[in-house]
Amino acid sequence: MASYQPARTSSPRISQDVIDPDDLTLDDLDNDDPLASTHDTAPLNPSSNFLPGEDRLSHSTLDESVWTTLQRDILAVWRKMLAVLYPKFTFKKWPDATDVLEAGGSLGSARTKVIGEWDLWGPLLFCLALSTLLSMCAKSEQKTEVFAGVFAMVWVGEAVVTMQIKLLGGNISFFQSVSVIGYTLFPLVVCALLSALGVYAVVRVPVYTACFLWSLAAGVSILGGSGVVRNRVALAIFPLAIFYFGLVCLCLVS
Amino acid sequence: MSSSHNNGYDVVVDVDDEGDLGHTDLTDLEFHQSTYSTTDPSAGKAGRSSARSPRTAGGPSNSTSTPSGKHHLFTLSFYAQYFDVDTSTVLHRCRSALIPRTNFLDIIDGNPDLYGPIWITTSVVLMLFLASTLAQYFARFGEEGDGGGKRYTYDFTLLSGAAGMMYGYTFIVPAALWVVLRWWGVESANLLELACLYGYANLVWLPVAVASVSPITILNWVFVGVGLASSGLFLFRNLYPVVSATDHRTAKILLIVVVALHAGLALAIKILFFAHGSPVGTKDPNMTHPVEPPKSDGRLF
Repeated sequence: MASYQPARTSSPRISQDVIDPDDLTLDDLDNDDPLASTHDTAPLNPSSNFLPGEDRLSHSTLDESVWTTLQRDILAVWRKMLAVLYPKFTFKKWPDATDVLEAGGSLGSARTKVIGEWDLWGPLLFCLALSTLLSMCAKSEQKTEVFAGVFAMVWVGEAVVTMQIKLLGGNISFFQSVSVIGYTLFPLVVCALLSALGVYAVVRVPVYTACFLWSLAAGVSILGGSGVVRNRVALAIFPLAIFYFGLVCLCLVS
Repeated sequence: MSSSHNNGYDVVVDVDDEGDLGHTDLTDLEFHQSTYSTTDPSAGKAGRSSARSPRTAGGPSNSTSTPSGKHHLFTLSFYAQYFDVDTSTVLHRCRSALIPRTNFLDIIDGNPDLYGPIWITTSVVLMLFLASTLAQYFARFGEEGDGGGKRYTYDFTLLSGAAGMMYGYTFIVPAALWVVLRWWGVESANLLELACLYGYANLVWLPVAVASVSPITILNWVFVGVGLASSGLFLFRNLYPVVSATDHRTAKILLIVVVALHAGLALAIKILFFAHGSPVGTKDPNMTHPVEPPKSDGRLF
């Protein structure tokens, strides 16, 4: 809000200038300086009562504790996960191509903005969790292969699915799509956790189906506003479904 | 027809009617040409006109070997022409691969896609893994009754083995066949059409895999036999016109090799993935599989 201050005060002064330019005094010139007006009257950060030059330092991350940094990053991952995983549409009515293409929400909405600032921390976290949990369930002599296989499957799958959408004419950002798909792995991590705990098969099938649908419903949001032609939307979704289905299969049989 | 957000397109023609398929193909062709120039920003400013030249000038049957397409090998738009299909097109191709009425190459109509081969094969790999694991699980469950103290653990190498076998078969065999046909001077042979043919021929293994979960051995053999007969006949019928361009003896040998390889694949699927009840499986259902698939794949060639 502080940055609006000079602009607002200057416009009447300019209109004064037009009427009588000779009225200009040295005080008016001082008021013109945005820095001077802010550090005199309203500091940028009201909480800091240090020397005026130091309030810029309070925005830097150099002197904060490691825990604060970590906390901020974890919070960012958490916020993005919520934004990605919040269901775009329920499966009460089977969504058609138009629904899918508009699933991303309007471009200016807060959720789109959160998703737009992609990062790969969340995908890495979920990928590692998935690989670790699944390798824990595997045979003792195959733990390494399972870990490596799942890890590769996740990243290669994300890349291939994204490339496929681009090849079908979708205009999406590669890493943003990879990031979103990575965040939608969360329901599958839940499945892997249940598998690691040794839940019975009777419970697994419905829960895992629900998780699969949840992931898929969240994952198709990368198609929102991508410009894929309507009669190709199903072709673009199918690889995504296969990707989730493969991982759910691994969780199911673990 | 009611698309309000078709950015960049003037007309969106909805071609979901199943009746007029000839018409569909025509509209597809015209429509997608505009797709590449408008939606793909990576087409580049430098060579947009030459990027489209293989499609317009080279003709669909020859676009892989057109030299002007070579330097666009690393752009996305170069590969986009191999994914130039709509949902209805893919579904129609799948249907005509399962229930063949006319020549499949006529249905492809000079526009072979890689979408079908890649994703059908991926589905088959997954279904083989899942069905095979479930079959083993049920077989184990039946043997031990109470499940025993030891939990059943799946075999991850079944997945990698299935992937190696199916991807290998679907893409190496057509490539080899293409090289051989080219060697014999068959100009009409097209690598992508062959890959497309083999890819769609894989489709029949999906229902076979699902059906093979059942622990009844004789049923498994029947299902795999039906799958082999269906896809083998499909391959034979569609490869025959292409292969017969060579002299009579070569054509015969090539067709026999193709069918034998396909039978080998079917046998490998049966023995490696649905081995319960067959002599290989009863000895040690977990440990004989891991090494086999890649090895048998290599032995086939």
